[in-house]
Amino acid sequence: MRIKVSPEIICAPATPEGYSALAVIRVSGKGSFDLIERIMSLKTGRLRGTRRKLGIISENGEVIDEVIAFSWPAGRSYTGEEMVEITCHGVPEIVRRIMDVLLRHGAEKADKGEFTRRAFMSGKLNAIQIMALASIWNEGRETGNISGRFNRECEEFIVLIEKAKELLEGDIEFGESHLDSERTVIIKELSSLLKASEILVQRAGSIEAGQKVFLMGPFNSGKSTLFNILTGGKALVSDIPGTTRDGTRRNIEIRGRKIILCDTAGTGGKGLDLQASKAVLDEILEFDKVVWLSQDGKEKPPEELSRKSPEILEVASKCDLNPDSKQTFGDHSEIRKLSSVTGEGIPLIEEWISTSPGNMSLAGAVDRIVKHILKAEEFVIGDEFGIASEHLNEAEREIRSVLGKGENLTLSVERALSSMCVGK
Amino acid sequence: MNISDNIFDVIVVGGGHAGIEAVLAAERMGCSVMLITAKYSRIGEMSCNPAIGGIAKGTLVREIDSLDGSMGKAADATRLHFRMLNRRKGPAVWGPRVQSDAAAYSLFQRKNLAKKGICIIQDEVTALEGHTEKPEGIRCRKNGVIYGRTVVLAVGTFLRGRLFRGQSKWRGGRIGDIAADNLEEDIRRRLFHVERFKTGTPARIVRASVDTSDLSIQESEKIDFRFSLDRSDLPIKHEICYLAKTNRNTMMAAKEYLHLSPLLAGRIDGIGPRYCPSYEDKVVKFPEREQHNIYVEPMGHRSRMFYLNGLSSSLPEEAQEKMVRTLPGFKKAVIADYGYAVEYSFIHYTEITDALRLRRTENVFVAGQMCGTSGYEEAAAQGLLAGANAARVVKGVQQLTPSRSNSYLGVMIDDIVSKGTDEPYRLFSSRAENRLYIRQDNADRRLYEFGRSLGVLSERKLLQLEVNINEAAEIEKILKKSIIDGCKAVLWCRRPGAEAERLVELIPMLSSFSRDTIFSVILDEKYSGYIKRSMKRDESRRRASSVNLSNITSYMEINEICWEAREMLEKAKPHTLADAEKIPGIRPTDLEGLLLYLAGKRSTWNSSI
Repeated sequence: MRIKVSPEIICAPATPEGYSALAVIRVSGKGSFDLIERIMSLKTGRLRGTRRKLGIISENGEVIDEVIAFSWPAGRSYTGEEMVEITCHGVPEIVRRIMDVLLRHGAEKADKGEFTRRAFMSGKLNAIQIMALASIWNEGRETGNISGRFNRECEEFIVLIEKAKELLEGDIEFGESHLDSERTVIIKELSSLLKASEILVQRAGSIEAGQKVFLMGPFNSGKSTLFNILTGGKALVSDIPGTTRDGTRRNIEIRGRKIILCDTAGTGGKGLDLQASKAVLDEILEFDKVVWLSQDGKEKPPEELSRKSPEILEVASKCDLNPDSKQTFGDHSEIRKLSSVTGEGIPLIEEWISTSPGNMSLAGAVDRIVKHILKAEEFVIGDEFGIASEHLNEAEREIRSVLGKGENLTLSVERALSSMCVGK
Repeated sequence: MNISDNIFDVIVVGGGHAGIEAVLAAERMGCSVMLITAKYSRIGEMSCNPAIGGIAKGTLVREIDSLDGSMGKAADATRLHFRMLNRRKGPAVWGPRVQSDAAAYSLFQRKNLAKKGICIIQDEVTALEGHTEKPEGIRCRKNGVIYGRTVVLAVGTFLRGRLFRGQSKWRGGRIGDIAADNLEEDIRRRLFHVERFKTGTPARIVRASVDTSDLSIQESEKIDFRFSLDRSDLPIKHEICYLAKTNRNTMMAAKEYLHLSPLLAGRIDGIGPRYCPSYEDKVVKFPEREQHNIYVEPMGHRSRMFYLNGLSSSLPEEAQEKMVRTLPGFKKAVIADYGYAVEYSFIHYTEITDALRLRRTENVFVAGQMCGTSGYEEAAAQGLLAGANAARVVKGVQQLTPSRSNSYLGVMIDDIVSKGTDEPYRLFSSRAENRLYIRQDNADRRLYEFGRSLGVLSERKLLQLEVNINEAAEIEKILKKSIIDGCKAVLWCRRPGAEAERLVELIPMLSSFSRDTIFSVILDEKYSGYIKRSMKRDESRRRASSVNLSNITSYMEINEICWEAREMLEKAKPHTLADAEKIPGIRPTDLEGLLLYLAGKRSTWNSSI
C-alpha cells in the first residue's frame, strides 16, 4: 500500500504556546519553498536544497518579525516532502500573525499530527518510531484538552451557527414556498450569532493578556504561602488569621504562560474582610480560574463562587500537619493535596494553572470566526446566499478545530425541514 | 417477427421519466432496446405537479441535457410559465423551473420514442426470468418471456402500489393504473431487501369553477429560457399561475376529518416525504399556522384543470371538497380528481451499486422511485445512468458513475447508494459540498468528460458541448488578459451584479460570444476562490477514501484508539478512512490512531516478506 502524498501545503506551530525565546513554525508540502521565498521576499530558488536563510516577514509593509528559515528538500525531510521550519521570536502574537500570512498565501492549517501522518505516508517513519510518537500523543491528549467550560461555550456556539445555517439553507431550498423566512430574519440571526461570538473574543483576549488565577479560601488556609511559592516573592505571611486584607497580585510566568496571580482576603470574615472578599467575587469573570484552599479540604467553596462558575481547583492545604488526611482524601480525585512545607502538590497546581483553555491559534481562530460571520452577513445582504453559506461553514470548521473535533458539516437538511413548513 | 424469438440488449420496464431516459440512452449507445409499459398513453405522464425543475432539480435537468437526455428538450417544448427561483439570492443557487403542459409533455415523449424507432409493448411484467445472478429477461402477463441481456427496472410507485383516500384503499400504481404485485412478489422471493414509502398528490380542480379574480397572480418571467442546448424555435405558449392562501377554515375542515386520514390512522406504514407533506400533515405538525401557500397551476395550455400545489391530501372526498372550498375564489370549486396517497415498495440501498445495478445480479439495473427517490428530475437522471450502464454491460465494458464533486447526479447517486434514505429522497442544493461550482449555467462543461467516457453522447451533442467548452476557454483567455478601470478584468467579475452584457460593453472583443457562456465564465471567476478551497477539501476527502480499512477484522483490539471509538468503528465497519471520518463521534485523533495501527501492520507485512 503506497499512499500518494497530497500536494497541498500545511503549516502549524511546532512549539508550545506561550512566551519563549524562540518559536518554530513548520511548513510542509510541494511548493513550500516558493511560498516561503515569497513571504520572506527572498530570490527564487534560495531555499532549494538544505538551506538556512535569514529574512523578514511583513504584512502590508509592516514588519512582523525577523526570522530564520531552514529548508529540507523532498525525500530528506521529516515528512518526506519539501519542508521549511521558520524560527521566529517566541511571542504568541508573532506566531499567530505569521500563521495568518501563511494561510493567506494558500497554506492550510495542519490537523493534529498531520506532519507525522505525512511522514508515515511517505515512508519516512517506521512503525516503531511511530508507535513511540503515538504514546507521546496519547499523553498529550489527556492534558492538552481545553477546559470543560470553554468547551461548552464552543459547543453552544456551534449550535448557534447551525441554527443560522438551517435558516439560510431553508431559505435557499424553500424560499419560494415559505414566505416567512426572509432575509431580514436571517440577518437578525447572524447578528445574534455575532453577539454570541463576543464571549469567544473576550476569552481569547484574556488568554492573550494573561489569565487571572485567584487564590481563595477561608482565613489562614495558606493562600499567601502558596502565592509566595508560586511568585517566588514575598507577600506578608503570618499565622494570625486575616493578615492579607487587600488582595495582592503579580504578573508571573508559569511554564511559559502569562498568568496574573491574585492573592485574596480570606472568606467568612466580617466588616472590612467581608467587603474585601465581596469585591473579589465581583471581579471574578466567568473564565478566570480559582484555586480554593482549605485546611485538609474541609471547607467547600461558597455558593456565590460556584455560581459564577469559574474553573475551581479544590486544594487540601497544610496536609503535612495531618498525615491522616491521606486516608480521608486519598481517593477523592477532585481535591488535590498541598503542603507548602514539603512541596507536595505544587507541581500539580502549577500545571493546572498553566494549562490554557484553548490552543495556540485560539485568538486567530476566533478572529477568523468573527470575520466569516461578518462576511456571511455581507453576502446575505449582497444577494449571494451561496457564498454566505460557505462562510458559515468556514466559521463552523474553525470552531470545530478549536475543539479538536472532526469535520461534520453535512448539514442535516432534514433537520432544517422539521422546523419549517414547506412543500406541495 | 415474434418478440420472444429476439434477444434484446436492454429491456426497460416502465415508461415514466426514468424509463424514457434509460431506453433512449441505451439506444444512443447502439443497443437494441425495448420498452414495456402498462399503458402506452401514459408514457411520460406527469403523475403529480405539472412542472419541471426547481432548486437543484433545474440544474439536474441541465445535466441530463448535457448527457444528451430528453427531459430538457421536452420541458422546453411544452413549457407554459418560467421562473428562475432564487433570482435574488445569487447565481450559485439559481433554480430554473417551468410549468409544463402535462398532456403535451407526454405526447412529446411518445413522439420522441417513436422517432427513434423504439420498440414499445404494452404489458404487465410479472417476474424476472432465470437465476437472480443473471436473469435472462423478463416474464410478462400477455407476451410471456422476453429475452434480454440486461434489464432496467423503473416502475415508479407501481411495485405493489396501494392507493388510499379516507377509509378506502385499493390496488393501483397510480390512479387509473394497475399495481405490479407479481413483480414485487418475485423481487421479494429473490430475497431483495424491500421497504415501503408513501407519497401523495392533491386534487385537480375544474378551472371554470374557480374565480381567479380573488387570487394573486404569478407571472412568468419574460425571457426565452431553455434547459436544453438545442435552441430551435418553439411556439411559446403562456399561462398564468395563481397564489392562494389557506386560512383558519381550511385548517378546521382538515381537523374535522383527521381521524379518517389513512396515514394518521395508521393504515399506511410507508414513510412519506417530509419536505412534501400532505396538508393534513402540516395541520398536525404546525397547528399554530393557519396560512399556507397554495400555488394554483394550470395542468396545460388552456387546460380545463388546475393543480393545487400545496394541498396534497388523502382525506375522504367530502373533506377535500370542504377544504378546497375554504380557499378564496374556490367557493364553488368543483373537484375533477380527488387527491390520494400511494404506498409502494422500493429497494433498499444496500442492494444497489453506484452504477445503479442490483448488486447481486450481473445485469439488472434500477432507477427512480425504486431506488427510494422522488421527483421527475431525479428519476430521469437515474434512468439515464442506469440505461447507459446497462448498455455498457452489453458491450462488456466497465460500469461508470459520476463524481459527487462535480454534478448533482453524482451527489444524488452517492447519497442514495452510500447512505440510503429514510424518506423519499429529494435533491437539495445543500446536499452538494461544491455548490458554488455545481451550477445550472455550467452543466455542459461539467458533464462533458463524464458523458464522453460513458459513451452516451450523440455526435451532435458532442459537437454542441465542444463548441461551448472552446468558447468558454476563449472567453476566459480574453478575460485574463483584459484590464477594466485599471483593474484586472477577472477582479471586475467579482463585483456584485457583474453580468454578460455589461462585460461585452467593456470588452467589445467578447461581442461575438454567446451571452450565456460569457456569464458562466464570469461566475467561474466570481466564485473561483471558494471553488478552489472546496476542491482542495474534496481532494483530501478523496485521499482519505483511498485508505482501505476492509482488512481490519476487529477494531476492539486496536490500542491506538479510545474504547468509545473502537465500539463505534466495530459497529459501523467502515470500508475506507473517509467512511470512518463520517461516523459521528469519531475524532481526528482516532483516525490518526487507525493510521498508526495500519502503519504497524504494514511494517509487519513488509518484514515477513
